[in-house]
Amino acid sequence: MKKVAWILQIICALILLQTLYFKFSAHVDSVQLFTELKMEPNGRILIGVLELIAGILLIIPGSAAYGAILATGLMTGAVIGHITVLGFADERLQLGLLAIAVLVMSISILVIRRTEIPIIGKVLAKRISN
Amino acid sequence: MSSKLSIDLHKLAKFTNIVIPIIAILFFLAGIYLSFYFHFITVTFIFLTVINIFYLNVQTHHSLLRNFGILGQGRYMLESIGPELRQYLFANDTEERPFNREERSEVYRKAQNIDSAFSFGSQGNFDATEIKLRHSLFPANKSKMKPFSVTFGEERGIANTYTIKRPVIISAMSYGALGKPAVQALARGAKMAGIPMNTGEGGYPKYHLAEGVDLIFQMGTAKFGVRNEDGSLDDDKLRDLANKDQIKMIEVKFSQGAKPGKGGLLPKEKITDEIAELRNVPKGKDVVSPTHHLECKDLESTVQFIKKVQDVSQLPVGIKMCVGSFKEVRTLIREMKSQNIFPDYISVDGSEGGTGAAPKAFMDNVGVPLYPALHNMQNILVEEGVRDKLKLMAAGKLINAGKMLVAMSLGADACYTARGFMLALGCIQALQCGNNTCPVGITTHDPMLQKGLVPDEKAVRVKNYIENLEHDFIELLTATGCESPRGLTSENLYVPEGTNLAACIHQLESASSN
Ligand SMILES: Cc1cc2nc3c(=O)[nH]c(=O)nc-3n(C[C@H](O)[C@H](O)[C@H](O)COP(=O)(O)O)c2cc1C
Repeated sequence: MKKVAWILQIICALILLQTLYFKFSAHVDSVQLFTELKMEPNGRILIGVLELIAGILLIIPGSAAYGAILATGLMTGAVIGHITVLGFADERLQLGLLAIAVLVMSISILVIRRTEIPIIGKVLAKRISN
Repeated sequence: MSSKLSIDLHKLAKFTNIVIPIIAILFFLAGIYLSFYFHFITVTFIFLTVINIFYLNVQTHHSLLRNFGILGQGRYMLESIGPELRQYLFANDTEERPFNREERSEVYRKAQNIDSAFSFGSQGNFDATEIKLRHSLFPANKSKMKPFSVTFGEERGIANTYTIKRPVIISAMSYGALGKPAVQALARGAKMAGIPMNTGEGGYPKYHLAEGVDLIFQMGTAKFGVRNEDGSLDDDKLRDLANKDQIKMIEVKFSQGAKPGKGGLLPKEKITDEIAELRNVPKGKDVVSPTHHLECKDLESTVQFIKKVQDVSQLPVGIKMCVGSFKEVRTLIREMKSQNIFPDYISVDGSEGGTGAAPKAFMDNVGVPLYPALHNMQNILVEEGVRDKLKLMAAGKLINAGKMLVAMSLGADACYTARGFMLALGCIQALQCGNNTCPVGITTHDPMLQKGLVPDEKAVRVKNYIENLEHDFIELLTATGCESPRGLTSENLYVPEGTNLAACIHQLESASSN
């Protein structure tokens, strides 16, 4: 199972990190998205930085669960964005599906690594130890 | 606590459980109509809602979480830091166990060579249960005090006797229970102070040998380091070890105060490749030693086994035991008498003794505490007329000179302590010895935690502790009017009624008057 988690982590990290190029270089499409969300430019940079952190945490062995939590949060936000503002038309469909894919994968990582989740992990491991 | 409070808590929990999803929805709306940034909070509350639903409806393991949801978690979080809160905030100086803050800080001060003069008065409880030494109107003359010396093996007249010059020895703690830097620090400190160190039942004492300290090799019931496949004694391996200059005595462990009647236990978290190799055991499984030595089936074979170890090793050989039944001890001593075979020492371990890991049921419920056990052992040996055939040692919280002298008054020739030395190494009594998470690097094999324990630094503390213990020891001994601890008897003790020891003294008195 740990192997599956690792594969998912790497895929998630790659997807998260490759979109950063568009965000940080202020690519017109990216700027367009965040303008619609009324978050341009600060939100674009903030989300980009958070995605960068999530990507890095996902590929460091000890912190994969933290990375997955952050990624799950960010992708939940992205999906909300698509549903409420951006829509799923044309190339937005691909972006939206990508966000959903990363969301599903990071939730899967969390399920596999459930005992590593801070605080809740102990409950999921069916053991409260002191 | 009034029931009102708990009802309030219940209401609060219900309220929280409803409010969390409502907040999520409100922020979702704010995210849509005001600013997308609000969705950061939306997402957080969606998470909390999901966790809460899971706690309340899905998981079945924790009643508290099932009833109260996320608020119940607060209790678990508090509970998990409870020991720390109690230790640092709420517990009195004389309240904690196994060692209260007073007792611990006395060791810390000795280890760091800090003056231990105190003002105004003792924190002790003088009404109830504390055993005191009786001082004499005429204290001994310090210059006339006999230097401390106990020679093991002299009774048998063997060539390789071993003499200790200081009243305290480092008690058995295996490499395994302890991490490498802790073993190194103890060994170095013991060497500086010129006292021996017991290896514990951890197999071949690789790191102990490397430090050049005098060693008492302990053979546990699993005989790590000197065993055949089937758990019997490998004579050649024992002979090879005993031939090493540094190995001065052999200790056959019958039982240990923290888990009498149960074999040693090393949790799998603490079994590294090296430890698996030194003990010759598999990784990934708790190592549980047998409850007793394969060779020791009854009284006769037990005494024979002691003889065998003496013959093979050609060294003084002691046995370590926690007393269960005095009757049984007496029959054992009688068997020794009839075979005319005696161990060179018996080490009595009180049931209050420490351990790296032991089942709680055994730790709390089995065995006789040190003082009564020792007192009875001494009496049995005297009554059977064999007290001069062997030495008596004692262990069980003897971490200061006062307690050591009590043990000596009850018959001990020398004292062992394990936890005293752990405290000297900087133990903060975090009670994590079995989890490989010792925060001060003593009982862990995690290099990150071991970093905190610098052997050279702590070796000096071990040495200081030994020297300051001895200093107190001599001062107190002088006050009793005795020139040597051999002059001490239970008459030198004030034993309050109501203590274990008082009961046991009365029992013996009435038995002898009948
Ligand atoms: C961490 C630790 C490891 C121990 N390992 C052993 C051991 O290997 N063999 C043994 O006979 N006793 C072992 N003991 C018990 C001690 O040697 C000693 O008998 C007991 O702790 C009583 O002394 P104390 O109260 O001064 O600590 C261990 C104790 C501790 C705290």
